[in-house]
Amino acid sequence: MVLQRIFALILLAVCAALAVMAWPYQAAFSYEPVGPRAYPLLMLGLMGLGLLYLAIRPTPIVRKDDEPELDRATLIKIGACIGLLLLFAATFESLGFILSAILAGLPMARLYGGRWLYSAIVVTGMSIFLYWLFDRMMDVPLPLGLLSVLEN
Amino acid sequence: MDTLSYLGQGFGVALTPYNLVTALSGTLIGTVVGLLPGLGPINGVALLIPIAFALGLPPESALILLAAVYLGCEYGGRISSILLNIPGEASTVMTTLDGYPMARQGLAGVALSLSAWSSFIGAFIATCGMVLFAPLLAKWAIAFGPAEYFVLMVFAIVALGGMAGDKPLKTFIAALIGLFLSAVGIDANSGVYRFTGGSVHMADGIQFVVLVLGLFSISEILLLLEKTHHGHQAVKATGRMLFNMKEAASVFVVNIRCGLLGFVMGVLPGAGATLASAVAYMTEKRMAGASGKFGKGDPRGLAAPETAIGASCCGALVPMLTLGVPGSGTTAVMIGALTLYNITPGPMLFEQQPDIVWGLIASLFIANIMLVILNIPMIRIFTRILSVPNWALVPVIAIITAIGVYAVHATTFDLFLMVGIGIMGYILRKLDFPLSPILLGFILGGLMEQNLRRALSISNGELGILWSSPISLGVWIVTACMICLPLLRIWRRRAQQRRAVADA
Repeated sequence: MVLQRIFALILLAVCAALAVMAWPYQAAFSYEPVGPRAYPLLMLGLMGLGLLYLAIRPTPIVRKDDEPELDRATLIKIGACIGLLLLFAATFESLGFILSAILAGLPMARLYGGRWLYSAIVVTGMSIFLYWLFDRMMDVPLPLGLLSVLEN
Repeated sequence: MDTLSYLGQGFGVALTPYNLVTALSGTLIGTVVGLLPGLGPINGVALLIPIAFALGLPPESALILLAAVYLGCEYGGRISSILLNIPGEASTVMTTLDGYPMARQGLAGVALSLSAWSSFIGAFIATCGMVLFAPLLAKWAIAFGPAEYFVLMVFAIVALGGMAGDKPLKTFIAALIGLFLSAVGIDANSGVYRFTGGSVHMADGIQFVVLVLGLFSISEILLLLEKTHHGHQAVKATGRMLFNMKEAASVFVVNIRCGLLGFVMGVLPGAGATLASAVAYMTEKRMAGASGKFGKGDPRGLAAPETAIGASCCGALVPMLTLGVPGSGTTAVMIGALTLYNITPGPMLFEQQPDIVWGLIASLFIANIMLVILNIPMIRIFTRILSVPNWALVPVIAIITAIGVYAVHATTFDLFLMVGIGIMGYILRKLDFPLSPILLGFILGGLMEQNLRRALSISNGELGILWSSPISLGVWIVTACMICLPLLRIWRRRAQQRRAVADA
């Protein structure tokens, strides 16, 4: 309940900030009666009303049976997983697809309870296979990065 | 008669070897994606869009591929419900109620093939309904002006909240988030950059593949971390794989009834497969009365939700094709795919590109037949896939998701945006917000703004145009009823509680 109130209030603040941002949007010259400002402001206004109601009277969260309570260990794991995803995004072009996929994928497999050896085999194999499948077979260009020296 | 000749033309398109292979691979990919935990039709369809585009598939083949994946996912979802008692996605919750007990009684193969058969009948009924009604609806929809379209979209959004039932407010807020997000980027009418924060990458707006994959794949990956159980023991599918005539005959009436119900529910925006399957199950349970063994492995309890799901999936394509207004998350994604091909779904599609529409309808028939046939020899392989552990699955999902996002624009900015959206999606999910309204809002948002502005340009700023025609007035009235629906339900629940307190 408290979390939900906090979330609603934060989102409300974001709405307000966005509304302030939207205020100066004005077409330099225009042929139509409705400018670029009206629609976003309308949406933000309606969302604001909804959030305000939610902040005052939060609805109870229905928890499913198989969903355990969030504890510290899980939160750390989730943080680590987000970190790995960001690492993947950051190294995607500089290291190239295959290396960055292994770099991020291996610890991720460990995070979900895989053993080092098996994880290494699966992740390395899959990164190379997916590169071959998408880049070579399906014409989705993926960066080679550091491995481009191997290409010729 | 026109319709029949068009349908023949459609089969001509769908039966070319190229499109047959496309449909077959689509059903296979879809089934596997639907089987895997955490991946549903929305992810499956969204992941394939950039790939279909990169492969250079012609639009009708791409649409056939996506529709086949859609049907395949729904089909795969039922395998894990029946064998694991874990619904692969929300709509198959009802399938577990009688499907899993049947599997426990050694009838796993029968349950699987019977559910495939039921879903096939449902889809068949719905596709026939589509053949009959879609052209009529399209003809009628040509009379729609921008004002009518705007009102129709308001109705679609409101119906989403009204039908979703238990949390109308959160559904409404989620839809508004989507509607707002669609406004990010350069405004096509005036050239003003909105909410881009000066970033070049945002000028184009948020790519909807990025939004979909962030919201659904990334948040699912994070959600899977919480689940402690490692791998499930699936019920072995042994013995008889195919149902017999007696079993099929015993559920035939149920099939017909639930197929019609599912089609109607599918056509209505916002209702979709989840609601259709629940209503079908409850209705059949009540109709069977004491004679049924519902919840303990009654074939009717399996057939009812499956028929309704099959029917509503095809029914959901009707508003998408005829009006260009998606009724569900997955059809919203398919509209996004069509816009990549510069095709605007809507009434004109039936006149301008009959090959696409009728090819799609014909390929629905074919994909459904394929799924029934696939079921029998492939089921052992599919059950093997169920035992893939999470540690091997999740990194691969993450990598494929990243490829899908990167394929759109080839910028790493989109990857970061995807992670950001994923975190947001995870938080929203933890707070019990439904996610597919965001998607629906995002797709409808652009159309809604354009139509609103166009309508007001016609009337020179006079708001009266929004309720001047009889069509828009009618839609407004229905919309008002939809708003009242959840309020009425809350009021009734409160009255019930009060009575319970008074009785105690």
